[in-house]
Amino acid sequence: MTIRNRIIIAVVIQAAIICLICVFVYLSFNTVLSKLGVIEIIDDLNISLLEVRKSEKNYFLYGDVNALKEVVERGEEIDTVIQSSKADILKSLGPGTFNTLLSNLNKYLDMAREVLATKKTPVKFEEEFRNLGHELTRLSEVLLKRERRDVNRIISTSITRLIASLGMVLLFQLVVWQYFSHFLIKELAIMGNLIQMVSQGKLHEVAKQTFSPKNEIDYAIKALADMARELEKREAVLLQSEKLASLGILISGVAHELGNPLNNISLIAQGYLGLYDILGDGEKKNFMADVLTQTERISRIINNLLDFSRQKKQELREYEPEDIVERSIALVSNQIKISNVKLHKFLQPDLPHVYVDAPQIEQVLINLLINAIQAMPAGGDLTIDVGQDMTNGNLVVKVKDTGAGITKEDLPHVFDPFFTTKGTKGTGLGLSVSYGIIQQHHGDIAVESEEGKGTTFTVKIPIYQPKEREGDAQADIDH
Amino acid sequence: MPKQILIIDDEKIVCDMAQRILSQEGYEVEAFIDSTQALERIRGKKFDLVITDLKMENVDGMDILKEVNQRYPDTKVIMLTAYATLDAAIEAIRERIFDFFPKPVKIEDLKRSVKKALGF
Repeated sequence: MTIRNRIIIAVVIQAAIICLICVFVYLSFNTVLSKLGVIEIIDDLNISLLEVRKSEKNYFLYGDVNALKEVVERGEEIDTVIQSSKADILKSLGPGTFNTLLSNLNKYLDMAREVLATKKTPVKFEEEFRNLGHELTRLSEVLLKRERRDVNRIISTSITRLIASLGMVLLFQLVVWQYFSHFLIKELAIMGNLIQMVSQGKLHEVAKQTFSPKNEIDYAIKALADMARELEKREAVLLQSEKLASLGILISGVAHELGNPLNNISLIAQGYLGLYDILGDGEKKNFMADVLTQTERISRIINNLLDFSRQKKQELREYEPEDIVERSIALVSNQIKISNVKLHKFLQPDLPHVYVDAPQIEQVLINLLINAIQAMPAGGDLTIDVGQDMTNGNLVVKVKDTGAGITKEDLPHVFDPFFTTKGTKGTGLGLSVSYGIIQQHHGDIAVESEEGKGTTFTVKIPIYQPKEREGDAQADIDH
Repeated sequence: MPKQILIIDDEKIVCDMAQRILSQEGYEVEAFIDSTQALERIRGKKFDLVITDLKMENVDGMDILKEVNQRYPDTKVIMLTAYATLDAAIEAIRERIFDFFPKPVKIEDLKRSVKKALGF
C-alpha cells in the first residue's frame, strides 16, 4: 500500500474517532441542559410550595381567610406547572410518586376550597391540612434532590468518558506514529544502505535489487537500483574503453614482439630449404619441432593480448600477488624493450594472497607501467617494488620512474577523469579508472612526484582474510 | 686461416641457424645467447665480423657495437633487429655500422652482406 493511502486511512480513522467523541459530548450536554430545565421548573415548584406553606401557616396563626385564598391560587398555579411539565416530572418521579404528588395536591386544594366555600373548618382540619402540605414539600424536595443527583451523575460520567476517549485518541496517535516511524525508518534505512553502497562503488549489489514497488520509498529504491544498473553499464563501458586505450599502446610492443618468432620461423624455413640435401631426418624433425614451438610462442603473445582486451564481469578470487605482477610485466615487457627503459623488479618472497579481480588489478598495473615508460622518453629506470605494509599487512605495489615528474599544479588532478598531460595521446581516463578499480577493492592508490626526479605511484590492496571477507559478503546480502 | 665471426642474439634459433649456415660457407663461427658473456669474449678475442641483435637484456647491441668500435676499429658489425625504428638505424649508422637487417632476415641477403664485410 502506498504511504499516501496509509496516511489517508490513519487520518480518516482519527477523524472518525474525534467525530464520535463530539457526538457523545453533544448528547451529554443536551441531556444536562434538559435536566437543568427540569430542575429550574422543580425549583420554582419547590419555592411556590414553600410560599403556599407560608400562607397556610399565616392562615392557622391569624385565621386570615385571604391567606387561605392565596394557598388556593398558588396551589392552582403549581397544578398548572405540574400539568405542563408532566412528562419531565413523570420521568423523574415515576408514575406512583407522581400520582401521589398530584392527588395530594388536589386533596390539599379541595380541602382549602371547601373551607373557603363553607366558611367552616371541619374537625382535625388543621392536622390533616398541615400533613398534606408537609407531604407535598417533602415530595417536591425528593424530586429536586433526584434531579440534582441525576445531573451530577451525567456530568461525572461524561467527564470520565471524555477523558477515556481522549486517552484513546492519544493511544491511537501513538500507535499510528509508532507504525509510521517504524515503517518509514525501516524503509529509509534500506535506502540509506543502498545509497551508501552506491557511494562505495558496490553498484552490482544495488543493481540486483529487483522487487515490485509497493510504496513511494520502494519506487525511490527501485529508481536507485535502476540508476546503479545504468552506472554499472557505463562503468563497464568506461573500463573497457580505457583498457582499449592501453591496448592501443601495448599493440606496438606486441607487433615488435611478434618479429622474433616470425624471424625464427623464417630462418628455420630458409635453413630447411637451403640445407635440405645435407640435413639428416632427425635434424629435419627438429627443425619442424622448432617451427611448432615458435608458432606456439606467437599464439601465446596474441592470446595474452586478447585476454587483456576481453571484457569480463568482475570476479573476485584468491590470487598470488606475484602472478598478477608477472602477468602485467609480461604485457608491457615489449614496451620496455623498445624503449630505453631499464626495469628493476623487487618481489618480496612469500607475499600473502589477495582477494581481487585479477584482470582489473593487471589493468591498473599496466596503466601505471605504461605511464612510467612514457614519462621517460629518453630512457631511465622503472622500478616495480612489491611488498607488504608493516602496520596492517596490506599488499603494497610501488611503481617508480625517473622521468620528468608531475608539476605541483597537476599533481592533485592526476586521478581526475579526462585530466591528461599527454595532449591528444592520452584519454585522461587511465588513472581515473585505476582509482575506481582500487577503491572497489577497498584499497588505496596514491602518488608522489618531484619535478625532474620522477614519480612514484603506490597501490595498496587488502590481503586475503577468508573469515573477514565472508562476513563482509554476508553483511552485503543483509543490506 | 678462416675468417672469425661472432654471433650474438638472445634467440637461440638465430644463433644456431646463423652458425650453421655461415660455418657451411667456410667461416669459423662462435655464437652467444647471453650478450654479457659475448662482451667478455670480445674483450678477450678479436673477430673479423660481429653479427649482433639490437635489443637484448642487460648488454644490448649498441653496447656491443661501441665496444667493438673502440677495441677493434677494423672489425665490421652487422646488426639484426625485430624492433627496427628509424632512430635505432640512425644511431647505428653514427656508430659506423656495416649493415642493418630488420627481422625477418633473408639468409641470402645476410650471406651476401657477410661476404662483402669480409672483403670478398
